[in-house]
Amino acid sequence: MSEQRCRSLIPFIYIKQGVMIMRGKNSGLKSLGNQVFFTGPTLLFFCITLLIPFIYGLYLSFTNMTSPISPMEFAGLESYRTAFQDTKFWSAMWLTIKFVAATIILVNLIGFVLAYLVTSGMKGQNFFRAAFFTPNLIGGLVLGYIWQFIFVQSMPEIGQKLGIEILRLGWLGDEQLAFWALVIVTIWQSSGYLMIIFIAGLVSVPGDIIEASTLDGASTLRRLWSVVLPMMVPSFVVTVFLTLKNSFMVYDLNLSLTNGGPFDTTKMVSMHVVQKGLIESNYSVGQAQAIVLFVIVAIITGLQVYFSKKMEVEA
Amino acid sequence: MKKSVVLILTLVMVMVLAACGSNTNNNAGTANEGTATSGKTTIIITNGKGEIAAQWEQAAKDFMAENPDIIVEAHTQAVGDTLSVVDKLTASGKTITLAMVAPDTVNGKYKDFGIDLSGEAWVAETDHAFANEKGELVGFPFSIEGLGLVYNKKVVENAVGGEFDPFSINTRDKLVELLDKIKASGVEYPVAFQTEGWSVSNHYSTQFLNQNEDPSVTVNQLKSGELKLADNAAWNGYYDTLDVLVSQDYNKYGERPIGVYYDDAHVSVGNGTSAMLFNGNWAFDSLQAVAGEEFGFIPVPVDNNPENPLNNKIVAGPTNLLIINKDATAEQQAAAKKFLDWIVFSEKGQDFLVNQSQVISAFKNNSNKVTNPLGASIANAIEQGKTSNFALNYTTAEDWNTKISPEVQKYVAQKLSRAELATFIENYFTSLN
Amino acid sequence: MVEQRKGFTSGLVFVFLIVALVIFAFPFFILIINSFKSNGEILQSPFSLPSSFSFDQFASAIDKMNFLVTFKNSLLITVLSTAFILLFSGMAAYYIVRVKTKFNNTLFATLVAAMIIPFQSLMIPLINIYGAKLGWIDTAPMILLIALYIGFGSSLSVFIFHGFIKSIPFELEEAASIDGCSPKQIFFRIIFPVLMPTSVTIGILNVMWIWNDYLLPSLVLNKDNLYTLPIQMKVFNGTYMNNWELLIPAILLTILPILVFYLIGQRMIIEGITQGSVK
Repeated sequence: MSEQRCRSLIPFIYIKQGVMIMRGKNSGLKSLGNQVFFTGPTLLFFCITLLIPFIYGLYLSFTNMTSPISPMEFAGLESYRTAFQDTKFWSAMWLTIKFVAATIILVNLIGFVLAYLVTSGMKGQNFFRAAFFTPNLIGGLVLGYIWQFIFVQSMPEIGQKLGIEILRLGWLGDEQLAFWALVIVTIWQSSGYLMIIFIAGLVSVPGDIIEASTLDGASTLRRLWSVVLPMMVPSFVVTVFLTLKNSFMVYDLNLSLTNGGPFDTTKMVSMHVVQKGLIESNYSVGQAQAIVLFVIVAIITGLQVYFSKKMEVEA
Repeated sequence: MKKSVVLILTLVMVMVLAACGSNTNNNAGTANEGTATSGKTTIIITNGKGEIAAQWEQAAKDFMAENPDIIVEAHTQAVGDTLSVVDKLTASGKTITLAMVAPDTVNGKYKDFGIDLSGEAWVAETDHAFANEKGELVGFPFSIEGLGLVYNKKVVENAVGGEFDPFSINTRDKLVELLDKIKASGVEYPVAFQTEGWSVSNHYSTQFLNQNEDPSVTVNQLKSGELKLADNAAWNGYYDTLDVLVSQDYNKYGERPIGVYYDDAHVSVGNGTSAMLFNGNWAFDSLQAVAGEEFGFIPVPVDNNPENPLNNKIVAGPTNLLIINKDATAEQQAAAKKFLDWIVFSEKGQDFLVNQSQVISAFKNNSNKVTNPLGASIANAIEQGKTSNFALNYTTAEDWNTKISPEVQKYVAQKLSRAELATFIENYFTSLN
Repeated sequence: MVEQRKGFTSGLVFVFLIVALVIFAFPFFILIINSFKSNGEILQSPFSLPSSFSFDQFASAIDKMNFLVTFKNSLLITVLSTAFILLFSGMAAYYIVRVKTKFNNTLFATLVAAMIIPFQSLMIPLINIYGAKLGWIDTAPMILLIALYIGFGSSLSVFIFHGFIKSIPFELEEAASIDGCSPKQIFFRIIFPVLMPTSVTIGILNVMWIWNDYLLPSLVLNKDNLYTLPIQMKVFNGTYMNNWELLIPAILLTILPILVFYLIGQRMIIEGITQGSVK
């Protein structure tokens, strides 16, 4: 800590409910000046890049544009009506919900287990950390291609040679198996990403708390359950949120692995919306569906974040 | 700590200034739109074929060298972008003068875009200038491409025991005979049929539109509801042939015909494990990587009547058009017209089109020939008059890929009956009104 | 956290880790062995070892991508964007955690909700506003791009900072303010250092995303001397077949810097912990 003595303000501060409240001007955390200083830049960039374009995008959903360069004529709720009547949109949504359910638990579990193991102090853990990280380095297109090759060519070869029936025909041509192929690759890719966040959470658990519980004679499992996991709640809030968001909005992998096939049975809702807006001549309907998707997912994740934030322990 | 904060902030400022610096340097060369300052006209031209990006830029440079009063900004669409370069630049506020588009869009997405080019000199040099529904010749045919049954010459000649003329296959029975011969020569699966949507739906399933000389007649019959597909000979004929091609007897993927087989199919035909697949002249890119052997096209038969004009024809036609923007200024339009003339009439332009870009030219006066065997096959077929229209140009390609292809794929996987597929397509067309 | 594990369980764990290693790292490995093969070899036998180990394809890819200039562009954008994201998000998260007002809670909720916005719905609005209407895409594309990254990256960064700041004991700040430090000094001298593992982690996440991002630069950068690595790599993609023998070396060359950065980052996290935290 700095050796310099700051000007003494002792008579002017007191703490109430975790917030520093200071008497006198310009001497407390809670002040307009500090509000602007601390949150101003973020707020500014947020408005420029997200808020204003989003409002504009919202306006576009109230037009009847067929292509992105059509003239922007106001059309009220027409696009929303078409959007809601699109049965394929809702079936894609339902498919995506199933996808989220299939991925969310496993990916958090595997991510956490990996992080726990590579922070346990064992030999060579840095090497493992790097290895588990590599799926994230490889972008969606190439990743999809590599896994495509595995599902279309390698697995059938293995299935042929070893006589395993379920592997013999390509997985990407069967509705059920193509879905599970997508689930497997998603879990595989995301666990490494979540692992990084869990690592940050695990190394932030104060060493003295761990020591204290060891001295108390707690077993590894017990310690994990009652000491480490509660301190990991902030990490889980983030990772569960990210899993929900990424699974609901899955697009790159969907495109490069199955392209929605076979016959659209693995077309998730994001891919449907992009097709509707930018490939079919239905730009404003695509926008409307994007907004509807946003609202639905925002409510779900909002509830998740709200309730899990309450579980966070403020030290 | 204070010192390091100051250091970091200084570093950041330096980098920001560096970024600004590079911006202003770059912007010194930014062309202004259309204003004929100092007598120069600036035009933006866009290319839709990612593979010839470098050639397109070089063409712009060569053209500018011959026309010092015109500045050409060349852009190319990146492969796989959902937002086309035309839409992207237009939404950013730019006016594109010359755009490369798919032919079906001149009656759809870009129907208000192009100006009438009927009066241009190059119109006389080609049969493939593309007209929109109003009869205006808006499309300069940039590339001609064709599709059919791509076959490995070595494997087929081995099976028939000598020279093979692909145009001898003018009925379905003859095709089946050929497939049996190939099987007998030791090739377990003569066909490697890929079922990606754009191939089996956009390309294969639109062939029946050619039953009228002008495919848009068939399209209009479908839209009005007067054409019933279940009774239509041509439509059924092509699907009877399809049934043969994807069957378990002949197709490598027959047990599970739907899948992601494009690359494997080309590897198979390339190295001779299979004899043929259904694709276009661009298949050579994939085949070439595997084997440099000779390949050609067999026409897709529709029935067993050798006199049927649809038999014995390879589908070929313009796949990319250049259109000139109505909203461009008169000077820009004139400059773009000069560029089109340059491609057709100048030596460098002709060289760019055929030799550099390996594109089959639609213009009779271009004596260059493409070197890849599949391209050459198409060019020869055109010369001999053995081609039928690229029917996909007369209907909405996007919808065939997104809406109709799942149904076609279901039919191939035998989850949908032919009657149901017929009803679906009929309803799709009548709903377009 | 250093633990000693008993023999059998540690052996079992080790086996599990090796299996996991193979499962996770094999595509990376496949990319490496395929970077030395020709297109034909790659299509027909992607899992076999290459016949020769020449670096010609790498040299070719470097040349075709205009690698040095492109690398410089990517570096500039990634470093500046990430630095600003970390700084601004850390500050904002700190204030939101410590000062519980309706405004701050709404701000936090808005930032989190903004992460859900599908990017497709913003593509046209973005280039319309900053291209057609304000012209920034023409006059200052690099700065615009960095500003966009700061905006898009702030939400997740604030979100993660928020959770981790909450778990910093308030006694630290108390002690500091009793010593007489102002809130700004408290933040920069005490909180930020304690947050180091979190900052490094968030830094890694942002660097990974920005460095590999294709969509935003493709919308905003229209001149080829400004292109970033992902845009230049697209040259090797074909409509029907990719030019793998150049694409794969290009991918490896692009990935390597992030891997290095990740390893350095993990090093920093471990050292930061062993140096002892907050006394």
